[in-house]
Amino acid sequence: MTTKAEFFDRIRAEMGRTRDLAPVAPSVRPARPRERLDVLRRELSERWRENLQRFQHEFERVGGVFHRVADVGEAPEAIARIASERGLRRIVAWHAGALGVDVVAPLTAKGLEAVAAPDAEVAGDERERRRALAAAADLGVTGADLAVAETGSLVVVSGAGRPRSASLLPACHVAIFDREVLVESLVQAGLVLEAWHDGAAPPGRGASINVITGPSRTADIELTLTRGVHGPREVHAVFVEQGLASRRV
Amino acid sequence: MSEPEPATPFRERAGQALRDTFLQEALTIATTKFIGLRREAFAEFPEGEALRDRAREIKEATLQRLDHYLDLLIDNVERHGGHVHYATTSEEARRIVLDIARRTGARTAVKSKSMATEEIHLNDALEAAGVTPIETDLGEYIIQLAHERPSHIIAPAIHKTKGQVAELFARELKRETVPDPEVLTRIAREELREKFLQADLGISGANFGVADTGTIVLVTNEGNGRMVTSLPRVHVAVMGVEKVIPSMTDLAVFLAILAKSATGQKLSVYTSLVNGPRRGGELEGPEEFHLVLLDNGRIRQIAGPLREALSCLRCGACLNVCPVYRQIGGHAYGYTYPGPIGILLTAMLNGTESVKDLAHASSLCGACLEACPVRIDIPRMLIELRKDVNERRIAPWSERVVFGALGRLLQHPALYRVAARLGRLLQRPFVRGEVIRRVPLVFGDWTRTRDLPPVAARTFQERWAELERPGRR
Repeated sequence: MTTKAEFFDRIRAEMGRTRDLAPVAPSVRPARPRERLDVLRRELSERWRENLQRFQHEFERVGGVFHRVADVGEAPEAIARIASERGLRRIVAWHAGALGVDVVAPLTAKGLEAVAAPDAEVAGDERERRRALAAAADLGVTGADLAVAETGSLVVVSGAGRPRSASLLPACHVAIFDREVLVESLVQAGLVLEAWHDGAAPPGRGASINVITGPSRTADIELTLTRGVHGPREVHAVFVEQGLASRRV
Repeated sequence: MSEPEPATPFRERAGQALRDTFLQEALTIATTKFIGLRREAFAEFPEGEALRDRAREIKEATLQRLDHYLDLLIDNVERHGGHVHYATTSEEARRIVLDIARRTGARTAVKSKSMATEEIHLNDALEAAGVTPIETDLGEYIIQLAHERPSHIIAPAIHKTKGQVAELFARELKRETVPDPEVLTRIAREELREKFLQADLGISGANFGVADTGTIVLVTNEGNGRMVTSLPRVHVAVMGVEKVIPSMTDLAVFLAILAKSATGQKLSVYTSLVNGPRRGGELEGPEEFHLVLLDNGRIRQIAGPLREALSCLRCGACLNVCPVYRQIGGHAYGYTYPGPIGILLTAMLNGTESVKDLAHASSLCGACLEACPVRIDIPRMLIELRKDVNERRIAPWSERVVFGALGRLLQHPALYRVAARLGRLLQRPFVRGEVIRRVPLVFGDWTRTRDLPPVAARTFQERWAELERPGRR
């Protein structure tokens, strides 16, 4: 088996044989990404209406369904409406702390089977049980840690109370978000990613970040666009005008 | 040599593809559609051109300090609890994955689409070791059921009709169905969902490895990349060493151009950033994460003639615009990577010998260079390869003799003049009308597919000399 030392010796030997390379540099990483991000967020807070409009436009272009509610109390109703219109009953959701709202109680009150994820480590067999629940669920409710206007993308960071499966296994995904997480462009999303990775990961942060741009799709059979091949067939974004009290990443 | 040589010669494989009328139609529809989507995507993205230059610079800058960035990536992957392995050859890469499978008692492996694992022919090795590999990208799943190989980097099953897929599902999955892509996709979803939930091992490639953070980035449209990296208890990512990039800021640049070049989307549906195994508090995620760094001929090219090809993002844009690919499709190339970039990658992995014919499977029109998101000068390297094929005496002797003689003629004006006069005499029996359609002996290869203009009654040189004569001005 090749060792790391042998592998690197060969790489360095080949690098030593290169001639006349024009000097080029990678992108300049922001020195203090968190501070830069704070500044950016303040700037963006003045343009959130334009950004939300652009997000909605792009999100709908990729096949997403956009909803808007005045305050957090209306969010469960919006979810219930989506569920009842499609005859969906079993719902898995992020933990209320990560979501910024408790959806389980109001959804249960409407006769739906809703379960929220635990926000701390659980044993292996409990994880198995939870996974089976998610696999059997019709609808998954998550927050969004970032919404990118340029591409109509929702970004979810996994972690305690934020299971990956909620936005993946059910055929219908509903993400709740507010103006705080809106950015304009992929370049700005790059800055957010730098900030999230700056320093040690906070407790409860998971190992997976997903940028979701519309419902799961394929065109592998005769280039016919088909939705929901592995991931959700439908993606909904519920914008909460008054903001959410969620635990930010 | 890592890949087996195709059983039939290139000319035969290409001929077969040209006679396949369905393939011809499918190729035209698919490549034309991809070209249009890509053009539209960049048309409404004026900053795209500058970002393409930027992306290329980032690739080049990374290559110039490859040891540094790889080392950083490795440190960060290990810091997150991942394991890193080093594979010099495809054989070694297979052994590493098999060892992991054996040690963890894996019986089934779900795979997300990965050219790197195609390149090392991992599936055959897994099967031989008693581990069932399941391709989960719909296109890859179809061709795995059909026991075929991908024919396009991003649309592996474009050569199949929905009718053929329906027959395949009926035969292999025992599920009778109408030939409707919607229904077929639903069947695949059901079949594969079970596999995802049961599989012990998840195997993926990597579109990028971010050194700064130790993150493996996967880009998919179907969501299978997310399944493979989240549901099985072990995740193995096989990544070519050239896929490392410095930072998240760099990643944003690549994401802005990758999907636009591949499918004309602003972004693919899922961009998954994976940072090692499951962390405390998470419900899902693998208990073990392994990164296999793959050389397989790449490292040799850091200072080699194919260095530029190390910047390739595997978007497939050069395939769609290539007049040769558009006619013969991916299978005729005979190796894992088809199309213009595929010829270079095949030479990289398997040596110049393997592309002695393929090096000529290009009109050198430059469409690939134009389409490449990172502006890889594919035509220049194809010419270099042809030169190498000739110099190393791999080309057929007739070709070497003819081109050698032509080279000498073109370098010596006196010799050229004599040859022109001689040619005028010798060509007489072969000129039909204004062209030569067939010439004898070893020269016959040239006129097999093209006509040859005869030497003119008076050559340009002769007329020029006349004009230059004093008194004519």
